[in-house]
Amino acid sequence: MVAIIQKRKMRDFDWLVAAMAIGIVSFGAWEIHNAQPTETFWQKQLIGLGIAFVAMLAIAFTDYRRLVEIAPILYALGLVLLVVVLVPGIGMKINGQRCWIKLPGAGQFQPSEFVKIPVVLMLAKYFGKHRSGLLTWKEFFTGCAILGLPMALILLEPDLGQAITYLPLLAVVFFLSSVRMWIVAAALVGCFAGAPLAYTVGVKTGLLHGYKLERINVILDPENADKRGFGYHTWQSMVTVGEGGLTGSRDSEYSQSSLKFLPEPHTDFIFAVTAETTGFVGCLLLLASYAVLLTRLITDARRSRDRTGMLVIMAIVGGLIFQIFLNVGMAVGLLPVIGIPLPLMSAGLSSVLATFIAIGFAISVQLRRFVN
Amino acid sequence: MKFVDDSQNLRGRLHLIQALVLVLLGVLSVRLYLLQIVNGSRYAEIAENQRIRLLPIPAPRGVIFDRNGKLLVDSRPIYSIILSREDTKGIDRYTLIKPLAEGLGLDPEILRERFDQVKLQPAFESILIKEGASQADIAWVDAHQLEVPALRVEQTPQRRYPPNGLLAHALGYVQEISPEQLEEPRYKEKHYKPGDIIGQNGIEYVYDEYLRGRDGYRKVIVDSRGHIQKEIEVVPPQPGQDLVTTIDLDLQQAAEEQLQKSPTKRGVIVSMDPNNGEILALASYPTFDPNLFSQRIATKAGRAEYAALLNDPHKPLLNRAIQGAYPPGSTWKIPMAVAGLQQGAITIDRSNLVCGGGIQIGNKFTRCMGNHGSPDIRTAITRSCDGYFYRLGLKMTISGIMTMVDEFDINKRTGIDLPHEIISTTPSPDLKARMNPRDSEWRDIDTVYASFGQVYDIVTPISMLRTVAGVGVGGKLYVPHLLKEVRQVGQQSEPDYRPAHAFQSLDPQRPNPKIVSIPEDQHKVVVDGMWGVVNNGGTAGAIKMAGFDIAGKTGTAQVVGLGKDTGANRDHSWFVSYAPAYKPEISIICLIENSGFGSQHAAPAVRAIYDVYYAKTRPQPEAPKNNIALRIR
Repeated sequence: MVAIIQKRKMRDFDWLVAAMAIGIVSFGAWEIHNAQPTETFWQKQLIGLGIAFVAMLAIAFTDYRRLVEIAPILYALGLVLLVVVLVPGIGMKINGQRCWIKLPGAGQFQPSEFVKIPVVLMLAKYFGKHRSGLLTWKEFFTGCAILGLPMALILLEPDLGQAITYLPLLAVVFFLSSVRMWIVAAALVGCFAGAPLAYTVGVKTGLLHGYKLERINVILDPENADKRGFGYHTWQSMVTVGEGGLTGSRDSEYSQSSLKFLPEPHTDFIFAVTAETTGFVGCLLLLASYAVLLTRLITDARRSRDRTGMLVIMAIVGGLIFQIFLNVGMAVGLLPVIGIPLPLMSAGLSSVLATFIAIGFAISVQLRRFVN
Repeated sequence: MKFVDDSQNLRGRLHLIQALVLVLLGVLSVRLYLLQIVNGSRYAEIAENQRIRLLPIPAPRGVIFDRNGKLLVDSRPIYSIILSREDTKGIDRYTLIKPLAEGLGLDPEILRERFDQVKLQPAFESILIKEGASQADIAWVDAHQLEVPALRVEQTPQRRYPPNGLLAHALGYVQEISPEQLEEPRYKEKHYKPGDIIGQNGIEYVYDEYLRGRDGYRKVIVDSRGHIQKEIEVVPPQPGQDLVTTIDLDLQQAAEEQLQKSPTKRGVIVSMDPNNGEILALASYPTFDPNLFSQRIATKAGRAEYAALLNDPHKPLLNRAIQGAYPPGSTWKIPMAVAGLQQGAITIDRSNLVCGGGIQIGNKFTRCMGNHGSPDIRTAITRSCDGYFYRLGLKMTISGIMTMVDEFDINKRTGIDLPHEIISTTPSPDLKARMNPRDSEWRDIDTVYASFGQVYDIVTPISMLRTVAGVGVGGKLYVPHLLKEVRQVGQQSEPDYRPAHAFQSLDPQRPNPKIVSIPEDQHKVVVDGMWGVVNNGGTAGAIKMAGFDIAGKTGTAQVVGLGKDTGANRDHSWFVSYAPAYKPEISIICLIENSGFGSQHAAPAVRAIYDVYYAKTRPQPEAPKNNIALRIR
């Protein structure tokens, strides 16, 4: 029986998604090497890729429905991890944020990256039942609660960037759960119109001040911002990206990152490094790879045999595109600097592992599209 | 869709999400296009500029020699502690003041001032923290590399002037260019930058262009903290051109010694070759130490020293030779005598005028220092008969005196190659109208005053020397100058070749020499008179030299009216001369402030210098020693 299942699984396995993911991580490892040639980050990233691939296979060959069944347990476990990380002595404090748990011998891991998965499963479990009507208030508040608990804990670390990446998970689930279209439109219009309004009101009333105001001002006018202070990251990242030109800068030995002008080149600003070394061509290829990967996942979602599977995949897609847009938007000076990694590219075992597990779920869903 | 779903158009919503994904990625692509393709070259330039830095290598400044190749001024290498400005951009530099001041023994106020100054100067790469760092200072910097990585030690040249303020007024000094000077066209046009060391006075100032050379630079790649990663290019500095002055160090030392020995220690001695205007010695006392400006000005003690110089009532910074103005007293009689003969007020045959012990004009009697009967022009000069010149002046009238002033250029700068020369005050009805608006009419008594070098005649020593030396060589007034030659650098075929350069009058419009036509016989009569002053029982008979005929004229410049001329208000003592009388080689003027009669102090001081000159030139000329100048490569 195992053999039969294995044979079918090998045939139905979404090799394209897996190959794209592995390809991007490998490319990322090369860029990490470019960013920090003297450090071992890129080797660690490749080891991480191996571990993540095994984890992905394990998840893919597990029936996602069983995991959705035990979602409340996983969710509770996740919350426990998020509490544990806040405990001094267990949680490591780096740059004022306590968001790492030290594992003896295995390095460190970031619970906020992983807790996204139980959150997705929990949402999928709750919203995955057959539905026949519009989103109810009860559903709305339950969804908010499922998301709100881990987000609140993450904000206590405090890690605003990670917390924000949880938002699209719920947004996508709501959107696919018959929220009225006009409400969606109104929410979007509200966001676009509200932002400038909130900015104006905030400045006028003095509520928006200090470094938050500065960071927003940097984005509004990076050329005239304080390039040595608040504007430094954005400005240096823009210069690094721009320097890449069409096919990348020739002088790799004395690049922006190796001369340390670009901060965090192997993590948050890995896209800027990519832009510097491979230019516009390389950037477009990377973005196209993301497009192919995400499009393929959406296709898988469409073929899912139940709502739960569809929601799992789509929440993952929402999380990924949101994080990609935020990270790249920050690197090209469109969005304020916020510390979140670029999925599959940035150095960091937690991020790669969590993303591969998520993709594993997507594969698991599509693998069982014919299985009853 | 494998499952049935009644909720609102799920398929459409999935398509919407798909579209949103592509739109977001599209937005990023457009932004990338703008950054990398449209503005790519601009950002590449910005990136290049922030990683490439030009570190200047100061050019060794030219060495200054005396006319015999003796070293006057050179530069020696010292260690300086420098704070890289780039490295400290992010941090509050003022927090460094306390540790730096304590560790390096500096005045916190001066550091604060420097930091303030740097704020206003965008192009400044580094901040000088301490010049002339000791071994202990360098060790301190090494020990504190971790706390203050922006500190570094560099070798820089420092100007070294002769001790005891020797020749200070002529040499001038160098000092860092000031923020105000950076705005002046003279410096702005030539792209001087903050931190440049420039000549601020004297020949250092006038010939700065030749002396300074051209700074080289190191083009380096730096990281974000300003640490040098790689050297791309080194352009070596072009050294400054060496300068040979007309100064004779032996005469200069003799001159300073005389002033040092003088009763008031205030005065001036200038020696010039009357045949070409070359200045052999230029001493002004009291003097100052130019090393103060090139070495110590940035220390608390140095600032105090400078303030003391500025506040000193005896004005040591004043170059009395070109900035001091004194009534010429009887030395004025030399141009008067020449002009009187020229203008026909007297003739060689009928030059006798009554002395009368003085002259009565209206109710005022202006006396002569003796009673000389009815002397001729020779005797009048030799005995310095005031009565004679009162009457000569009246015969010439004020317009005659004004013509004389014009003829001898006394109402102009001499054109010496030093900055800030002042113009002498010379008599004219206009001058009286300005000085005395209530009684503005020019009267005979004014002409009398103007004719014996008081009241309306206030001249610089350099101008008086030029006049008398010019008379000595028969009416050729050369432009006095200190530059003998700017030496060439390199060979003609080489790209950095800079040719030698001799003195050229800074004002090419003026003839050099200016010719005053003095007929041979008139010239002889006046020279006879001046010869007599020293050699024929005249007012300076005491300094007569065997075998070396000095021609000269004493003078006593009244500081206040007669009778009150004691103590601090005593008359200035003048002696102006040249020698030998009938074949001039050297001219010397001396003024000792508030020391009384010219014959008493000024004339002996001049004699001492002639002695040195005589010893140098008459027995066996001594071979000049070869001094090796110290230069920094």
